[in-house]
Amino acid sequence: MWQALYEELEPKGVTVVTVALDIDPEKARRWIETAAPTHPSLIDSQHRIDELLGISNVPMAVWIDESGTLVRPAEAAAIKVSALRSIEITDDFGESLKRVLTEVKAMPDTGDAYRAAIVDWAEKGSDSEFALEPHEVIARSRPRPKEHSEAAACFAMGCHLFETEGKDAAIEWWKRAHALYPENWTYKRQAWTLESTPDGEASDLSQEVEAVYGTSWIDSVLELGGGANYAVVPDL
Amino acid sequence: MTSLDQSVADFDAATGWAAKPEGMCKGDMCVPAPDAVSAGRVDLVAIADRLGMALVGDDTRGLWSLGPESGGKALTTAVVPNLELPDLEGNPFKLSSLHGRKVLLVAWASW
Repeated sequence: MWQALYEELEPKGVTVVTVALDIDPEKARRWIETAAPTHPSLIDSQHRIDELLGISNVPMAVWIDESGTLVRPAEAAAIKVSALRSIEITDDFGESLKRVLTEVKAMPDTGDAYRAAIVDWAEKGSDSEFALEPHEVIARSRPRPKEHSEAAACFAMGCHLFETEGKDAAIEWWKRAHALYPENWTYKRQAWTLESTPDGEASDLSQEVEAVYGTSWIDSVLELGGGANYAVVPDL
Repeated sequence: MTSLDQSVADFDAATGWAAKPEGMCKGDMCVPAPDAVSAGRVDLVAIADRLGMALVGDDTRGLWSLGPESGGKALTTAVVPNLELPDLEGNPFKLSSLHGRKVLLVAWASW
């Protein structure tokens, strides 16, 4: 998906850079090798771009101009309609799947508009109505109370302990991060996938991790207001 | 981190805040911090207080972790910080090598 956009935009002066937020880079390997990107495809195992660029979910993107200045802050970066949205929910589905699909359908559908905005910026540069002035970029970035800073520190401590001692040492620190900044889905889904996805298998998206984290993806989504609140919707 | 005292170079690499004559600076934003920097070292307790950075410790392991500046917006400046990340094979890539081109930086994950 991003490779196709890159091929379209590269002649217009835009380089796509994808960054995988994966504490275990090997989990990203099958996706990267399938996509066979010719653009830079990087790994951020510590989720550093969360604090450096304001990333809090995936997919999210920032736009950077030729001088190295942000012209849009971190926002949801869907560029096509999710196939999950078109699934008709029937009585055959289990309750759990019904709940997940209902909230997925409630997520704002911004893919087409966001993709069109990117193309407009590629063609017009700073004259694009979607390219913002530096003060607007800062003003439109998300608030960062002290709790979010503490969450980042706790998440990083967990990542360090994961590397040095293993997963069990990280869990308490990751739980603290989740409690301090519940709207950061990268902290939660990164930790949860280590419980819910067996080695070598594709990611378990429903992340039912009650035994360790006392919640699941869908319960956590509903606690925070449902699918409508799940993404940082681009204000285009 | 195992110490509450770091070199200014290490602190810059970790946080994006650089020691300059006018204070601690990130992009085009500078904050005076005379009590936090001396002789090329950064006092993490003092700088954390000055910039609203959370400092958490694990006493039994003797480890510290420092969060980013807070109290305002997620972005302090629109200038992109120096960022170097590896690719799948471990080769480092500097974002600054793309100066002169527009960049769409996309975060994704396997999970």
